[in-house]
Amino acid sequence: MVDETTRMIDVYRHDAHKFHGQSHVDAPEEFAGVPVNRAVPYGADADAAALSRPPGRHEPVVPTHETHYRLSLLTGDAVYIPDSRSRAAVENDVRDLLTVADAESAHECWLHSDVATLFNEAVAFPYTSLKYHTLLVAALSDTYRSGLSFENLHLVVDPTNEIVPHRTVYSGDRFALRIDAHDGNRPSARLGSRPWRSWASTWNRLTAHPLNTDYDRWDMALDANLRRIWAWSTALQYLEDFTRWRGVQ
Amino acid sequence: MEGGTVTRIQQVLWKLEMDYIGHPYYVSGNAILHALRQSLDSSVSRTLHASHGMFVPGQFGRFPEEHSQSGVQPYLGGGLPEVNAYEDLFLHREPDHRWLLESRPREALNTHGLRTDAGYPTLAYRTIIGRPRGHRNETQTTRWYVHAYLHADDPAALPLGEATLSDVQFGGKRTYGYGEATLKDTRLVELEALEYSRLEGADVHLIRLITPFVTASDYPGANDVAVPRWWAEDRGDLRFREEHLLAAGEPYVLETIDHGQVVEYLGDRPVETARNGLTRIGSHSRMGFGEFRVIPVLDRAETTHGHGREGR
Repeated sequence: MVDETTRMIDVYRHDAHKFHGQSHVDAPEEFAGVPVNRAVPYGADADAAALSRPPGRHEPVVPTHETHYRLSLLTGDAVYIPDSRSRAAVENDVRDLLTVADAESAHECWLHSDVATLFNEAVAFPYTSLKYHTLLVAALSDTYRSGLSFENLHLVVDPTNEIVPHRTVYSGDRFALRIDAHDGNRPSARLGSRPWRSWASTWNRLTAHPLNTDYDRWDMALDANLRRIWAWSTALQYLEDFTRWRGVQ
Repeated sequence: MEGGTVTRIQQVLWKLEMDYIGHPYYVSGNAILHALRQSLDSSVSRTLHASHGMFVPGQFGRFPEEHSQSGVQPYLGGGLPEVNAYEDLFLHREPDHRWLLESRPREALNTHGLRTDAGYPTLAYRTIIGRPRGHRNETQTTRWYVHAYLHADDPAALPLGEATLSDVQFGGKRTYGYGEATLKDTRLVELEALEYSRLEGADVHLIRLITPFVTASDYPGANDVAVPRWWAEDRGDLRFREEHLLAAGEPYVLETIDHGQVVEYLGDRPVETARNGLTRIGSHSRMGFGEFRVIPVLDRAETTHGHGREGR
């Protein structure tokens, strides 16, 4: 019998090979002394993948960018162009992120990680985000582990800094987003009966939006774009990138 | 089909030629009427109704399953395909544009590039994918289009000619050239001549709000409007958003039920309701508010389990 806590820490390390552009087949079983690249239980990895990319094998949608570095939906540019200096720093941050010992701490580190935003979750879909894919896998694993099935799940809007271990998938300056069972007191929307690229559909059905779309033109522009995005990890990363970008406008 | 009634709508597709500063969800019907008024006789412009103008990426696409046509078509977003059935009217009217191809970077093609001008967000008139870095990298440019439709109290007012529609400007900073658009295509559609069999073939229907439904307006003479009785949802179930209407230089505040939401239809005349959704309901419907789409649910279980609300 595998210890449940061990399982959750494995979730945060399950895609370690994607930091190094390795395929799952070539992925090592250990990195910096910790076990990595283990399969995620309950099919949570496949379900999270279905939230952000189409099923099956695909040619890269941007043929000029066939790498594991993410393309920014906000700027259109690669978010990371490695050189010898940055490579060492990134390698360090990756090691720190993957070697966190405790699963709840790992969740918090991923929520606030910068290094995990540099990589996509699939080379063919460069606008996806390894950071948010991993957080979605964690949220699904944890909810499935507690006996909930996908069709019980909702996207729930929480106040900022209210982090629910493993289930919070986005934590920003103004609000947090969580995947969980229905919470009657908070704005929420049901995810549906099966995982698909349903970000826009779910965001559109939230009972309240955590943005000031009555008057704030930047929030309106953000909301307008969020209603156009299908892929969950792309949308959550866009929220993060937009918030940071807006701060310097 | 009711005898004698003919409702014609004129679809219009404009191509953005410059960046746009303005409402980021759509070009409001009010802005479209304002733009057209410049070149129209007041007797014609008084009779016109304009939908909101939806932003469409001029991309390749595959007709959605419910469309009367099928297959992949080049520049589906940059043209007005034939309209045979009710569903065909919505091809360009929902911002997630599910017709975009899987093989293309759909998120990048379907989100607006944003710039700042004097503190305001500006929507780019084109999207460039695959920036040249180094040499000989391919780039692909996609242009943005605006899709709207008109109808008129006096059916003889339509169609508007190309001269009227050809060069328009939307949004703010127009003296600097922002919001310039040119006519790409236009098409006249008779609503009574369309196929409604998908709606007739279902016992259960949902309604998706394509544009906000106005429930209160501080515009003089506008009445408060209750949530329609033929929706299963009431106010507490719905998301509201404030909108603003500029009339004769004065801004008026509107309380609206935000677009994009889905409600359950309780009525038993889905085809009639569907046509009303095209000519729109509620206050300020002449200016684009209150447009909705009726969606047939083929399996009752899909509603109770929420599947039908997932956006298909």
